Amino acid sequence: MIAATSHIDSPTVTYALAAVGLPLLAAIINLLLPQRLGKLAGWISTGIILLSAVLAAIVFGRVWNHGQLHMQQLWFTIGNTAVNAGILLNNLSVFMLLLVTVIALPVHLYSTAYIKPEEQNRYYTYLSFFCFSMLALVVVDSMIMLYAFWELVGFSSYLLIGFWFTRDSAVQANKKAFIMNRIGDIGLLSAIIILFAQYHTFDLVQLFGPNGLVFKSVIQNGMWIASTGQMPQVWQYVAFAGIFLAVAAKSAQFPLHTWLPDAMEGPTSVSALIHAATMVAAGVFLLGRVYSMFNQAELNVLAIVGCFTAFLAATIALTQNDLKRILAYSTISQLGYMIMAMGINAYASSLFHLATHAFFKCLLFLCAGVIIHEIHHVKEEHQLNIDPQDINNMGGLRKKMPITFVATLIGCLALVGLPFTSGYLSKDGILIQAFEWAEGKPAWYKIIPVSIFITSGVTAFYVARLIFKVFFGEFKLKAMFPNLNLHISDGSWSFRIPLIFLSLCSLFPLFSFNPFSYEHAWLFNGFKPENYLDGESIYHLIIPVSISVLSLLIAFWAFAVYIRQRKLVLSESNLLFKLSYNQWYIDAFYKNVIVKAVLLLSKALYWFDRTIIDGLIQVLQQLTLFLSGLAAWADRYLVDGFLNLITLLVKGIGNFFRGFQSGRVQYYLFSMLAAVLAVFIIKLLI
Amino acid sequence: MITIMFYFMAAIALGSALYVAGSTNLVRSVFMFFITLFALAGLYVLSLADFVAVTQVVVYVGGILVLILFAFMLSGRENLEGVKQQKNRLLSVSKLPAIVLAVAFFIVLTNIFLKARAGNVDWIKQSVVKQNVMTPQNASINGLGVNLMTNYLLPFEAISILLLMALIGAAHLSRKEEAA
Amino acid sequence: MITLTHYLLVSAALFSIGIYVVLSKQNAIQVLIGIEMMLNAAILNLVAFGKFDKINNAGQTFALFAIVLAAASTAVALAIILNVYRRHQTIDPGKINQLKD
Repeated sequence: MIAATSHIDSPTVTYALAAVGLPLLAAIINLLLPQRLGKLAGWISTGIILLSAVLAAIVFGRVWNHGQLHMQQLWFTIGNTAVNAGILLNNLSVFMLLLVTVIALPVHLYSTAYIKPEEQNRYYTYLSFFCFSMLALVVVDSMIMLYAFWELVGFSSYLLIGFWFTRDSAVQANKKAFIMNRIGDIGLLSAIIILFAQYHTFDLVQLFGPNGLVFKSVIQNGMWIASTGQMPQVWQYVAFAGIFLAVAAKSAQFPLHTWLPDAMEGPTSVSALIHAATMVAAGVFLLGRVYSMFNQAELNVLAIVGCFTAFLAATIALTQNDLKRILAYSTISQLGYMIMAMGINAYASSLFHLATHAFFKCLLFLCAGVIIHEIHHVKEEHQLNIDPQDINNMGGLRKKMPITFVATLIGCLALVGLPFTSGYLSKDGILIQAFEWAEGKPAWYKIIPVSIFITSGVTAFYVARLIFKVFFGEFKLKAMFPNLNLHISDGSWSFRIPLIFLSLCSLFPLFSFNPFSYEHAWLFNGFKPENYLDGESIYHLIIPVSISVLSLLIAFWAFAVYIRQRKLVLSESNLLFKLSYNQWYIDAFYKNVIVKAVLLLSKALYWFDRTIIDGLIQVLQQLTLFLSGLAAWADRYLVDGFLNLITLLVKGIGNFFRGFQSGRVQYYLFSMLAAVLAVFIIKLLI
Repeated sequence: MITIMFYFMAAIALGSALYVAGSTNLVRSVFMFFITLFALAGLYVLSLADFVAVTQVVVYVGGILVLILFAFMLSGRENLEGVKQQKNRLLSVSKLPAIVLAVAFFIVLTNIFLKARAGNVDWIKQSVVKQNVMTPQNASINGLGVNLMTNYLLPFEAISILLLMALIGAAHLSRKEEAA
Repeated sequence: MITLTHYLLVSAALFSIGIYVVLSKQNAIQVLIGIEMMLNAAILNLVAFGKFDKINNAGQTFALFAIVLAAASTAVALAIILNVYRRHQTIDPGKINQLKD
């Protein structure tokens, strides 16, 4: 083993490997279990993820802020290149390791009650496989292995979105998710190849470490120069484009964001784990890994895209009626925040927001799952024809489901970013740093912080809308079916414990003892760059106050609209409303223009293949048949004819000589004597 | 004297042989063959082989030819009718190859004999020198009898057995088949 | 003077005539006669040369045996001809061609 680190610590590496490998073991066991032992599969997976979480915590304790741990081994050699496989444990890795296992644990527990027992085998196989892929993704040390687990994570997502594959909408959704993820994978692969061509190594430490090759390379006179070679500078931009595509696909940024709302076809626990907290955070994680390769222009691109996506998604969430879709667009929006934060050099805040978002978004999805589960029960019990996920069917649930209500409330407060929640620390951190970043730059840079500010306001509105529509007011379902007894309650303890746990984690004490200052958060300090000046600008005071006040005002406005039935802001036929409701027509555009174009191309190629290529083969076939006919004729008439001639000759001669056997004795004697005479004559003459 | 006798015998022999050859009638040819055999016997006598001549007459003429005569004459009317009919003429195209061959043979043989000059062969000259030649004075059957009983005893006995075999064979071959 | 050659010529002529008889006759018995004629020609030859062997009498003895053999063979040949007639109802050698190809 080659160790190239500050200190070598074998037990830590073993624990890390165990934490990563145990879910794979669970997946295999669950794969082999017969179907009637479904419930056992659930407990096996949950137990193993608990173990992984404990191991991850141990590793975290040993590695956090203690430098990095890097161990690798030679995997294979091609020509002069040796490709290594190994583990890299630095702050980012162990942070993600712990985050993923700790989020996965309540989700596993929740799923034991959410998923039907006969389906639990398959579900837990996929879920454990996903956990394995995600955990492996965060600890590997080479780009090749990163790519491999990147793909596996996408694949697990595909399996889980299409879990209820008998539904056509689920199948369409998982196809869409997979294909869009593939576009990102192409980008990532291209970037890896370009980086390899330039730097001749896949190793993350060698490339992106503090004294890495990327850090030391420069762009001069239109050439991208590194210690290992040089190439035209356009390739650096191409590599960036590849990374950007990968991030956009995985973390659902514009233009590759349309798969995430459709991915809500999967079970809610899957949405909670994968599409809120962990997989979609893989994009941000990738940015964290390769951060040192971006130059200023590229960072600006990231910032713009992130900001735009956040705004886009927030506006769409305003008008959606499906509970999970609101949360999905909310996820896209918050991811936009994280990407933008990466773009404005707020690396630490971005990762901090990733962590807090993981907790409160997972919480929100699990609460939504409980509500949907209960309404689904009602639907099945009374054979109603309603959509369990439509918030227009809900209302006034706070009395019937108090624990869920409190949990959702805490999650929503964290999402909006009100004080005393963890969300406040991370989100306001981003806002503040956005304003600080735009300082001292040309005026149009200010668009970014301003639009983010506005987006936060919009976030507050749709969150409030959600809370009021679901938990306050009259229970609409009861109004629709007055004579039915609709029984709704909080759910079993398998639902309640995860909710309570996650609610506690969404409050500030987990991250910082000071509820108001993000710079005191230990997480933030773990990722802080060395040249960070502890903020003393005016923004640290203005921004949190203004945004909190604004959010509260907007919440009251939403209350007025939805509960007191004041006039709606915009009627349903308004153009902006329509724009928002139809997701800015982006999905429709993709379906009608891009998908159709690809299908047309495929039809054209099919025609080409059938007519021209097959036609060519047909021509060759005819030619060959003709030649073979010719050869057959030659064989039959020339070759056989020649042989027949010879046989005729032989037959003729034979028949001629046959005639001598006349059967008459005197004739025989005559010929004999004639021969003797001939001999005598010849003897006489010689 | 002897010369004349020789030519006379030879002429009879050859003439009757030619008649045998030319005749299509079976009986006639058989009887002509008689004459030929007699003439040959005469030639034997002229060659100082009197015992052979007598044997020829007795065995050949009296035995074989008589046998032939008996064989076809005692075979029945219908057989005789069948064999008496000869359709072809004396000289016809179908006999031409046989004539040619016979003539050719004769020419070749004559050529050989004339060239060979039989009288000048070594052993003949030797026997002349050693007085081994038979003369009319000392040509007697005595020598023949002695030789037959001493030098040629084995062939003598063998030939008697052969005769026995031929007898039995001929008798068996010509038996009447029972109607099966 | 009658030399040996004269006898030889006579025998040659007789032999040729015998050949002619054998080859051209359409009666098996006539063929038999032709054979006898050839035999006689040979015996004449033997006897002619036998004059020059007084001690052993080889020529004459050979001639005697030849005559005996001719007799035996003629007897058997006649028996065969009889059988042939019984089977084929003809003694024309030209008509007995069952062995033809």
